[in-house]
Amino acid sequence: MSMGRIWRDITQWLAQVGSDIKASTDAGLLGVARFFGFLYGPIDTSLPIDEALQKSLRFRLPPHAGWRHALGGIAYLLFLLLVVTGVLLAVYFRPSAQEAFPSIQHIVSGVTLGWLIRDLHVWGASILVLAVLAHMGQVFFAGAYKPPRETNWLIGILLLFLVISFGATGYLLAWDQSAYWTVTESLNALADLPIVGGMAAGLLRGDPIVSGATLSRFFAAHVILLPWLALGFLGFHFTMVRRHGVAPLRQPQANPGPGRQFFPNHLLRSFMVGMLVLAVVTTLAILAPRPVGDAAHPGELPDAILSTWVVVDVSRALVHYLGRWGFGLFTLLGLGLALLPLVDRGPEREIRRRPVAAAIGVIFFLGFLGFWMAGRGLRTVPTAPPPAVEQPATVPGGKP
Amino acid sequence: MSALLALVTVLLTAPQGTAVLDSSVYGCLTCHADKRAAFDQGVHAERGIKCHDCHGGDPAAVALPAAHGGRFVGAPGKVATVALCGTCHSNPNKMRQYGLRSGQVAEFRTSRHGILLLEKHNEDAPTCTNCHDAHTILRPDDARSTVYPNNIAVTCGRCHEDKSLMAKYGLPTDQVQQFNQSAHGVALLRDQNFAAPTCLGCHGSHSALPPTITEIANVCSRCHVSVGTAFGRGPHGQAARAGKLAGCLGCHGNHDTERVPATQIAATCTKCHAPGTPAHSLGTKLQEDVTQASADLRAAASAIEALASFGQQTGDMKFRYQTARTAYLQITEVQHDLNLERLEELTRQVRSISKDVRAAAAVAEEQKWEHRLWLVPVWFFTLAGISLSWLTLRRFERKQVG
Repeated sequence: MSMGRIWRDITQWLAQVGSDIKASTDAGLLGVARFFGFLYGPIDTSLPIDEALQKSLRFRLPPHAGWRHALGGIAYLLFLLLVVTGVLLAVYFRPSAQEAFPSIQHIVSGVTLGWLIRDLHVWGASILVLAVLAHMGQVFFAGAYKPPRETNWLIGILLLFLVISFGATGYLLAWDQSAYWTVTESLNALADLPIVGGMAAGLLRGDPIVSGATLSRFFAAHVILLPWLALGFLGFHFTMVRRHGVAPLRQPQANPGPGRQFFPNHLLRSFMVGMLVLAVVTTLAILAPRPVGDAAHPGELPDAILSTWVVVDVSRALVHYLGRWGFGLFTLLGLGLALLPLVDRGPEREIRRRPVAAAIGVIFFLGFLGFWMAGRGLRTVPTAPPPAVEQPATVPGGKP
Repeated sequence: MSALLALVTVLLTAPQGTAVLDSSVYGCLTCHADKRAAFDQGVHAERGIKCHDCHGGDPAAVALPAAHGGRFVGAPGKVATVALCGTCHSNPNKMRQYGLRSGQVAEFRTSRHGILLLEKHNEDAPTCTNCHDAHTILRPDDARSTVYPNNIAVTCGRCHEDKSLMAKYGLPTDQVQQFNQSAHGVALLRDQNFAAPTCLGCHGSHSALPPTITEIANVCSRCHVSVGTAFGRGPHGQAARAGKLAGCLGCHGNHDTERVPATQIAATCTKCHAPGTPAHSLGTKLQEDVTQASADLRAAASAIEALASFGQQTGDMKFRYQTARTAYLQITEVQHDLNLERLEELTRQVRSISKDVRAAAAVAEEQKWEHRLWLVPVWFFTLAGISLSWLTLRRFERKQVG
């Protein structure tokens, strides 16, 4: 039997399988891909699946959709990157107080490309927050949150909270001194909130101190609860985007044109942006890997706590420079920004005629960037009281 | 009801605390009430000893002269105090029940203090109550006691820091100050390490005397067992036994005890051995080797830290480091018996382990650097992908417009 014959048989067989699938699968299956944001145009379920796909690909985007609308897609791409690297990390990570730290040491030094997967996950988490905020800023300053899109703005805020919860729960999983004491301090601060604080902190901690019980809770939230919530809300977010479309321009163009075709033009442009984003994250992961510190030790305060996530950077800078009240006020400012669409429902979208909204937005976003820069270099020490008796300084090995 | 009232009355009028001496029945307190508070805190009060047990007189009487009648002692003099305390404390049959020794008075007779007081009747010398107080006699493990380890240096210093008193006997007065800053003083006073000696650790307590030249090495060896043994088998130990060298004090201080730093070894040898002599060159060699081993060990420690920061598991390396550290600590013995062969062996052990650990760290460092090479394919494919997409996009757009 010649090679050509074998090749022909294989292609024939594959074509057979393909036509079997086409003949027996509803085009409605494409709705799943559409729900999760991989297809934009409507699905004609009366057509066979392949023709429905082609029809959907011919969909044209609004003519004014530009590069600035890529921010949401970038955030989604980073989310998918975190899902993939997260699943790979979960293969080797062991969520127990005894094994978490050694398993990370193993991932970083023993597993092929484990170091890269891990640092892609770490940097992806930071860049995701920035991408989400940039996306939010774009929507905010363009006034795209105004009716009828205010529901989607609120879902977006919910997704931002999910992203922060992802980071906050994932932060502890490294189970080194910095992670342990950052979470301890955050939960202590949470416990200081009136009425609900103590209960919430206790619920999250699951123990009088941050312990294996906390690690299990955070792990379960990080890899089971939050991913499902995020997927559901993301799908809904995309649904709402399709339902209301991209917000129209403030001054409608005279001759807007037919709009950009989804395939291949839009997909090629998305591919270019995606490649660039992934290359940047990979570069950061390679050049600035997250240091592996000392294993978490509940009885030993570290000399300094290192921050490895943009939200922690910002929070620490806020607490360091403005105190707890400053942190609280900045959080309230962010919440005000998030809830602004509930009151700011006028049709005016020109930023110059929305001075209050613009001021809140500028202060929040510039403040966030500023405190991020300030927080990155900050090396704080735990706020717990230092040990009473100073230990004598020892040279390794001592002097004979 | 009346029973309850009676109970309340009894409870209200019952003596408060553990006052042993009750003025209503004990005559001494009619006049000497001021001594009661001091005495009640002490262990004698706890054991039911009363004023008249030491001072005599008649506690049933409330007025002079009857109260001071009979076998009245009053305030005993220094010499009499020794005998008075000895009536109980030298009696094994009385002391056995408390687990106390009964040889203090006998020991005291052998001490410089005892010789001055009991033989020369020199009242400058202390008696029992100068160190232990007359009335507030606390257990030695009571932190308020004058003989609690932390307080001993202060207690001795009450006389030994008195310049005019010590001038009479030609004694220095800076011992306490030196001790406070010495390795022993720091261990005891700062680190609360009660294994560290106070004045008593080396001089004895009741039998206090400075150790003689031939005794010094034995005194230090009681705690510093392994270096003491090593010192004994070396050439310096021989000299010390012959009375030619003040034992450990040849190199170390007495009250200002301190380690000789590795970099000061040869300089210490210069005290007795002129530079250029075989003994001095041995010291120089010792200094070189110890300094080198010390540097090797430090390098191993930082290499392990580097390995940990690269995310490597360092259990094996830490185990090997402990082996190196054990060898390093044994060099201390070599410094005291001057066995050069053993020195070679130990420093070689430290060096070889340090080399291995550093090599592992160097490999990890190199690997970390190699990670950067990934940037080349990543950016090559990214830029290639973007350029190709751009070209394809342009072609499509031109075709679509056309």
